[in-house]
Amino acid sequence: MGGRFLRVDLMSGRIEKKPLDEQLVHKYLLGAGFLSKMLFDMIPDNTDPFSPANVLGFATGLLTGSMFPQSSRHVIAALSPLTGIWGESHAAGFWGAELKFAGYDAIIFTGASERPVYLLVEDSNVQLLEASSIWGKDVFETDGALRAKHGRQSRVLSIGQAGENLVRFAAIMNDRDRASARSGLGAVMGSKKLKAICVRGGGKLEVADPANYLRTMDELYKRMLANPFTRGRAEFGTTSLIELMQHIGRLPTYNMRQGVFDGYEKIGGHAINRGYLIKPRADWSCLQRCGRFTSVPDGPYAYTGGSPEFESQAALGSRCGNDNIESVLYSHHLANKYGMDTISLGGTIAWAMEAWEKGILTAKDTGGIDLSWGNHESIVKLTEMIAFRKGFGDLLAEGSFRAAKTIGRGSEKFVMAVKKQEIAGQEPRAQKSMGLAAVTAARGADHLYGFPVLDEVGFDDEIKKRFGSKYLPQMADRLNPTYKGIMVKECEDYMVVVESVGLCKYGTQIPPEFYYEDVALGLKIHNGLDFTVEELKRIGERIVNLNRLFNARFGITRDDDALPERLVEEEAPVGPSKGQVVELESMLSEYYSHRGWDSKSGLPTRTTLRKLSLEQEGQSLTRH
Amino acid sequence: MPDLKFAFGDPMVCTGCMICANVCSMFYFKVLGPTRSRVRVLRFEDGLDFPLFCRNCKDAPCKDACPEDAIMRTSKGIVTVNNSKCTGCGACVKACPYDAIFINPDSNKAIKCIACGECVKRCPVGAITITTENDLKERDKVGKISGFYEKHKRDLYSKGEFL
Repeated sequence: MGGRFLRVDLMSGRIEKKPLDEQLVHKYLLGAGFLSKMLFDMIPDNTDPFSPANVLGFATGLLTGSMFPQSSRHVIAALSPLTGIWGESHAAGFWGAELKFAGYDAIIFTGASERPVYLLVEDSNVQLLEASSIWGKDVFETDGALRAKHGRQSRVLSIGQAGENLVRFAAIMNDRDRASARSGLGAVMGSKKLKAICVRGGGKLEVADPANYLRTMDELYKRMLANPFTRGRAEFGTTSLIELMQHIGRLPTYNMRQGVFDGYEKIGGHAINRGYLIKPRADWSCLQRCGRFTSVPDGPYAYTGGSPEFESQAALGSRCGNDNIESVLYSHHLANKYGMDTISLGGTIAWAMEAWEKGILTAKDTGGIDLSWGNHESIVKLTEMIAFRKGFGDLLAEGSFRAAKTIGRGSEKFVMAVKKQEIAGQEPRAQKSMGLAAVTAARGADHLYGFPVLDEVGFDDEIKKRFGSKYLPQMADRLNPTYKGIMVKECEDYMVVVESVGLCKYGTQIPPEFYYEDVALGLKIHNGLDFTVEELKRIGERIVNLNRLFNARFGITRDDDALPERLVEEEAPVGPSKGQVVELESMLSEYYSHRGWDSKSGLPTRTTLRKLSLEQEGQSLTRH
Repeated sequence: MPDLKFAFGDPMVCTGCMICANVCSMFYFKVLGPTRSRVRVLRFEDGLDFPLFCRNCKDAPCKDACPEDAIMRTSKGIVTVNNSKCTGCGACVKACPYDAIFINPDSNKAIKCIACGECVKRCPVGAITITTENDLKERDKVGKISGFYEKHKRDLYSKGEFL
């Protein structure tokens, strides 16, 4: 392996180049697993996310920068200022691969700087540089300024004004339009006064099996391109999931009151392709090209740049009752420009809109901003005001959970969040596994930690292959809670492995083309690492358990694994999932039993920890 | 002389995925790294992505600039570098109007695209073709593609300065 990482102390300005611990790689791989272990050890109990004691880590995966399909990804982690627990976020692009070519697998930042700085990484030349001239600039301006200075082929990762202003759901952006959006890690970067990391890599990656490399990749490319999903991805990216989710009643609408939206066609993939798509774009080694490049040519919402994914369309569209597509495109563009998570942004605005509808929030609270459902001018205006913490935006910049706590008056029950993070674009009454996955995810409400999409649209064959036919037909039925515990558990174990090797969930989970044996093949020919499928599964399980131990240190128990009342008690009022609720408790109990977690506390048992060689880390349980 | 062939990319079709660059460095040098590839890929803020190759010029300024006579044209009309003669002096890099010849930092030899087609057959979107000046004119009658190149020429080509 012979990898290395940078350790940068922002207090003293000291930069160290450290070798990767091979034992750690064998136990946790790289990427998400590496950061899970490093940060578990480095972040002290009772840390305030905005204090210098918080640790901010960036890591590539073992296959990042390789030729494996969709191997573009990097992972960022820290204690989250939104949830107060494990914070993790991922993005595609080129930044991660560039870091590899500069000769580093990861960067760990400790402490905080007094003055704004950015890190320049040009192969062996690594420096912290003064950032006062770019502090206050948006993501696109920062990208432009640093590439003008350090070469246009440099790859820039940065925060925008939202991160500087400590918006609790600020994103970290890279390659202009790629977002590590969730968990508010942009605000951690802002609190450390770290504006950007500019990378230029002039090096090369030696591969373990050069003789068979290209031939093996040719086979993987053939499979990826032949998969029937690839055509649709190329044509629509994720934008036409709006139409699909409407069809199955899973499109979050009016603050997740329901799963169907009358105006869905106006904000869907076909509408974007018809009026605004310039071309599909891809990230490093990506064959699926779900990225979109779009433009609104004129009017108040004019822009040119990256297009929203499904999540942003749902969050800023149907969730806010907004069918004005140009405003959806534009507010997403602003969220990229200022660096914010569109899911929490839309989720928080939708909370405010429901509170407005109920008369809990009035013009007195909002400074005169009308929060009627679908008021697109207000959505766009609030996007700006949140990023700069202006007026009512200052309250919303805290996220819906904290905003509701401040407002009170019964607005708390309209908070659609788990562990203080807004639920993503899956109305869980229409897909039960997504409800379970949202509560078990380590970073608070999250669809990606487990990404249990196998029951979404008829992946029966893959379920059979991955789990066995005894789970059919129940596991494939999205409305049936049966076997969702084991399904979410297995999906989580696999997805954290995927995040640890730097691959995309598209290609590994939807479509479910590549599984453990393909990852093992990649690690063998690219890295020269021999892992069996069983070993990789065990590593995935270990990472999930370590994330749970981290959260236990910050107070999480079974009581926190809960959905908003609406989703478990109120029947879905309309659409294909009409009458459904999420049968959370039964699914959760099944999940805990497969995890080997205590059904009362929701925490790993001694036996489980011993099985996973986590005894030492598990000692933290006795302290709490 | 036969019609001079070269690889050429359509910046509206190219997605910028870098697979061509990876194929190139892996096929020829058994490593990965854009600085070891004979194709450069540049992305622009208006949505265009350019995979950039040697244009196999009729007058081949790289050939004239080489003090070692290391650059020659094969019987098939492709400009190639003779490794046993090349000293890595970089005169060709400065002479090339397309930033299409580089010095490989590992071998210290000049490298350039020879229109072998390995990337063409693996481009997932079919953005690259092997073409000739005449063929290109025929296919791009309205000058749409050449217009994209014209628009960005200042940032695409620098006589080696941007490399």
